[in-house]
Amino acid sequence: MAINFKRSLTVTLLMIPVLGIAHGVTDADQELLLQGGLWAYIRVGATHMLTGYDHLLFLAGVVFYLKNFKDILKFISVFTIGHCITLIGATYAGITANDHLIDAVIALSVLYKGFENLNDFKKLNINVPNLLLMVGIFGLIHGFGLSTKLQSFDLGTDQLLAKILCFNLGVEIGQILALIPIVFLITLARKSNQFSAFYKAVNWYLILAGVALFIYQMYGYFSSH
Amino acid sequence: MILNNGKFSKKLITKFRTPFYLLLAFILFCSHDLFIKMESYFLQPNQETTLSLYNGTFESSENTITRDRILDASIVAHGKRTAIDSASWKDQDTTLTQLTFNVGKPGTYVAGVSTKDRNIELTAEKFNAYLKSDGVFDMLKKRTNDSLLDQDAVENYQKHVKAIYQVGDIKSNDWKTILGYPIEFVPQANPYEKHSGEKLDLLLLLDGEPLTNQLVFANYVKDNHTHKHSDEGKAHKHEGESHEHEHANNTNEHSHNDSHNHESDGEHHSHEDATTSDSHSHAHDDSEKEHSHTNGQQLQTNDKGIVTVDLPEDGTYYVRTISMKNVIDSDTLTHKSKWATLTFGVSHSHDPNSKTDSHSHDHEDENGLPIWVFILASVFIVAILFLIFRKKES
Repeated sequence: MAINFKRSLTVTLLMIPVLGIAHGVTDADQELLLQGGLWAYIRVGATHMLTGYDHLLFLAGVVFYLKNFKDILKFISVFTIGHCITLIGATYAGITANDHLIDAVIALSVLYKGFENLNDFKKLNINVPNLLLMVGIFGLIHGFGLSTKLQSFDLGTDQLLAKILCFNLGVEIGQILALIPIVFLITLARKSNQFSAFYKAVNWYLILAGVALFIYQMYGYFSSH
Repeated sequence: MILNNGKFSKKLITKFRTPFYLLLAFILFCSHDLFIKMESYFLQPNQETTLSLYNGTFESSENTITRDRILDASIVAHGKRTAIDSASWKDQDTTLTQLTFNVGKPGTYVAGVSTKDRNIELTAEKFNAYLKSDGVFDMLKKRTNDSLLDQDAVENYQKHVKAIYQVGDIKSNDWKTILGYPIEFVPQANPYEKHSGEKLDLLLLLDGEPLTNQLVFANYVKDNHTHKHSDEGKAHKHEGESHEHEHANNTNEHSHNDSHNHESDGEHHSHEDATTSDSHSHAHDDSEKEHSHTNGQQLQTNDKGIVTVDLPEDGTYYVRTISMKNVIDSDTLTHKSKWATLTFGVSHSHDPNSKTDSHSHDHEDENGLPIWVFILASVFIVAILFLIFRKKES
């Protein structure tokens, strides 16, 4: 069973280059969006999802708690609907927010997910909020974060809705691509008799990462004001 | 006795101070450079900005430019030249003519303004003083050599100015656009692909031909506002503040409580009247500093009409030249001059391999950390936590 865990770690490590390569999209994104047509929006949307580790951490947290494919599909669908609403709506309406603040809230969603997965609400004698509802709410928040990112680009006025939809499609493609190794890794780890330790480790890590990202974003917010 | 001395000194000072101030003010008055000055030369896509016509020095504008004087005002971007509607210009009191607009898509932009020619009559003394203060040394030398320093002048002058600014991070090829002005600087490389510590070649064209052996002056204003490292992702909001300061300064420097009257001293300053506000109370504190338009690098175009400008620091650079010639076949004119300026911004390079310079913060480091660092740190932390929990459970 220890071998299984080693295998899981190996898979994790194998994911690194894939994610690393995907991050090579900075100012090239803007150039791509200007010159690459709608296809470029799909590509940029996918890369943003694949390289947005706060989104990935939250997704990992959501999937970690779920044991069957049906539940995964249900929760991911709710998350997807949530982020589609705000991504499309806010971008089309031109609603934006300070990117540090919105990223700070997204960091809190990561923290929340880790906290929830460890049953810490129960330990504190607090009623656990509806899991699906919370995933939906956080989906809305993540979508707003993605919208803020999208609005930082020069989108122009031509085919604005089509561009937003293509970016959104790219985000969904990126999400599926990210979920495949995450689900695979968790399924593999679940077979191990040390899964309990792994589960705690990952969810504690989500809490720590959430706190760290929150502090980082708030520091960014205050230092820029 | 002391009192008498004091009175005498006062009289003496009064006697000489007024002509001294008048002369200095006159030099300032008749030597107005024209510059296109931006709030910032590094702008974000679709950002609103203000382009100002500085008629005076690069630091302060003395008067507005009337619309009828503008022959051409245009902006070149993405291969397209767009004329600026004359109704879009607004005057700020009597000192500044400004255009507020949204900059549009990313790219390297060129703005140009060409003005009608005008005549100016100058006494020999004042003409010589202006040649010296404005760095038209070749003409001054010629007058000296030809023993013409005592000859009054009637000069026909025209001004043609350009600015190159960068929107977003994408460098487009419009920087090399020749606007077809009677005189103009044309960069030989995109100024926004140059960084502090480097050099920029400029071609000087006179009537479309390279102008050789021409004196050119280049200077810069150190700029703390091009970008701020700690303020990543915040699109230069501070630049707007800097603009406000500039205007505040201008207001202070150019109070209209005129302490002297051009008419009363019998000088003929009608040549600028159409565009110049009548009260030119230049700050005399400034005047008392040696007023010169020739600070900075004094350069000369080579036999190809190219001048190489050093870009030692981050800042806003301005390059100026006056090409003046004697007029022989005219009953009214003695000289004809063509003035050109070019302004642009320079920042430092972040990464020698990067095609962008200073304004890539918005889209770089999406969440601040390189993904590699994040993944490796994550795997390490999860592994440590796993070992802790495994030990605890066993």
